[in-house]
Amino acid sequence: MKRVFLVFLAIFAALYVGAEATLKRPKNDGIVRLRWATDANPARKVQTDLFHKLHPNIEVTVDPGLGGDQTKLIVQCATGTGPDIVDVYDEQQMVALVEAGVLLDLTPYARRMGFDPSKTYPAIKNGLMVGGRQYRYPCNVWANCVVYNKRVFDDHGVPYPKPNWTYRDFIETARRIRNTPSKSGQKHIVVANFSNQWFYDDLLVGYGGRFFTPDGLTCLLDSKEAIAAMKLYHDLMYVHGAIPTAAETATMSGQGGWGSSGLTWFSTGRAAMIFIGRWYIIQLPSYPDLKGWLGAVRLPRIDGRPSTGVTDTRAAGINVKSPYRKEALLFLQYLASPQYSKVIVDDGDSLPPNPALARTGKDLANKIVPDPAFHQPFIDAMRDAHPLDVSPFVDDGLVMRWLKEHIEKVENNVMRPEDAMHALAAQINQLIRVNLERRPDLQRKYEQVTGRPYTQDWWRRYQKPQGAPPPL
Amino acid sequence: MRRRLSIALRFAALCVLGVTVSVPFVWMVSASFKPRAEVEEARIVPRHPTTRNYPIVLDMAPDPVTQQKLGLRFGRWYYNSFFMAVGITFLQVLTSAMAAFAFSRLRWRGRDTVFLLYLATMMIPGVVTMIPNFQIMVWLRFLNTYHGIILPAAFSAFGTFLLRQFMLSVPPALDEAATMDGAGPWQVFWDVVMPLARPGLIALSILTFLGAYQSFFWPLIMLNDDQYYPMPVGLLALDSTYGRQTELIMAATVMNVVPLIIIFITFQRFLVKGLQLGGVKG
Repeated sequence: MKRVFLVFLAIFAALYVGAEATLKRPKNDGIVRLRWATDANPARKVQTDLFHKLHPNIEVTVDPGLGGDQTKLIVQCATGTGPDIVDVYDEQQMVALVEAGVLLDLTPYARRMGFDPSKTYPAIKNGLMVGGRQYRYPCNVWANCVVYNKRVFDDHGVPYPKPNWTYRDFIETARRIRNTPSKSGQKHIVVANFSNQWFYDDLLVGYGGRFFTPDGLTCLLDSKEAIAAMKLYHDLMYVHGAIPTAAETATMSGQGGWGSSGLTWFSTGRAAMIFIGRWYIIQLPSYPDLKGWLGAVRLPRIDGRPSTGVTDTRAAGINVKSPYRKEALLFLQYLASPQYSKVIVDDGDSLPPNPALARTGKDLANKIVPDPAFHQPFIDAMRDAHPLDVSPFVDDGLVMRWLKEHIEKVENNVMRPEDAMHALAAQINQLIRVNLERRPDLQRKYEQVTGRPYTQDWWRRYQKPQGAPPPL
Repeated sequence: MRRRLSIALRFAALCVLGVTVSVPFVWMVSASFKPRAEVEEARIVPRHPTTRNYPIVLDMAPDPVTQQKLGLRFGRWYYNSFFMAVGITFLQVLTSAMAAFAFSRLRWRGRDTVFLLYLATMMIPGVVTMIPNFQIMVWLRFLNTYHGIILPAAFSAFGTFLLRQFMLSVPPALDEAATMDGAGPWQVFWDVVMPLARPGLIALSILTFLGAYQSFFWPLIMLNDDQYYPMPVGLLALDSTYGRQTELIMAATVMNVVPLIIIFITFQRFLVKGLQLGGVKG
């Protein structure tokens, strides 16, 4: 038995020596090596290579996390070993990282180095700041449009969607695609949706609704705008047959219907439209059949309202404990540069962070989709889009999960839209009260936003803003 | 007649179970031979089968999206996974066997209390100890090293428990006979108890190897440099905001599971025997 263990020890030692001997050790060449916590994807290599070319004494390596899961970042930052540059995916996460003392206040540097909030889209400006101080700068920015397959429309003899179209027009287009047999004999669905939650969020913003009152103390998902948005979502499925029902979704998902599968469904020419951001075109080189056949138009608008939807950004901040602060700031400066913008334009990864570098569709035309008319609606959409509002008194992730659950209940006809939204808002409001009761830091925040001392029964005396909620 | 019917029904139920268990594996292999456009279709047999996913993963052909090689270090990650799993398995089996010997064959004050405390560590969820463990690794300067992955996994309460159960089943008379012949505890451990605990050692080795080979979260947190990554962490590069490249993930996974399948098939009987014995003796 001893021999067996000795043999294994020898194998292990040999493998260890082999592994250590073949490692590339960092050279003492004076190059600063920055770590960027982001998703590892081929586009990052192009982006970091260009930065190294512009700054030969700095190299950026990608430190992959687990998508939106921030465990790695939290564990490393808690022990002071975090990355130099951190991708921050939403406002709530940014607030949490600022309160934990992880993110560097960029305000003193941003204006001087050309990446202050005036160098990005007005709609996302507030989402980069906490208490009037800037903590991140966008890597890319997106707002949804409707991308359509002209070949499917031609096949059914249906005219392409026109700019400024309404949901009434969308329903009519859907009806014609569904009811007119295709010349090719192939069957098509109207919409291959990417995410049911995004779809609802766009409808909510389209109706002028919002998640919370401006002070964040009350959920407004039971407002008439939020209910109307959910009702339209339900009716688009069950009354107008414009988007797939839950049952159709279940059938389709086995064949590539929704989620990332929805992309496949659209990309393989089996759906007429998809509601999505410009980043969709990243995948187009894998689907050469679509080349020259894509069009884009802004989201349909609610009658009497402008076309609008949600915007969001993946934005980078700097770890306050980074030993390479100066170099990391140069990286953020690079994000606002024309060179970085060109990379985003060329690979189609949504919109570049600096709007001055994407004024018209012509600026965004690339090898993947050379037609400027395709890109123009995404620029226009950004002009009128709004970020989703968050409340400091409740975990944004939980709100989103509950919203998704209630959307699914409506999709499955388990609840009526109005009942679902009332129940959801009540659930969120209850959590806000519980959080406030338990957390002194939130009680202090309550006092800041209301100017009144916190009491346990604050909600009994709380006056919800009357009338229509202020627009986002 | 009734017996035949019963056998047929059992056979049918097992067939259904077998197919259910195999479908994900078959789908994985099938998807690795599909082009992107077909990968999420329900059909098992690809309409346009292709082998191009394999050279892309092996960095021998460019990615169709960027027209650039992905720069995946598949060979390195393969080696790292294998090497770290071998190291963890060797050390864990050795330390568990020694601890199990101390808890089962040696008599010392407080032995059972210490064993219970040792077992109690199994009740603590990993996420609770993650930050303290990570902090210790930082203090020891083990961040971004192979030993930062291998050493924390070199000790296991479960392994100790499993082997202790085996060792308890070895008759004490054998130790006593060896001791009377002049053997010390070290000799009793290596020459008497260890050979008799062989099924347990093999079972623990297989379980540890399988777990370590697929280990994801600890390496993800501990490692920042891709030349240290094991395969599961390296494969993150294929699942990003750029889109999930399912067909490439499947091609990489097919190549990744080959050693596991070989090990499992070779040592299957020991695994089953070992777990059965460990479950009933005490």
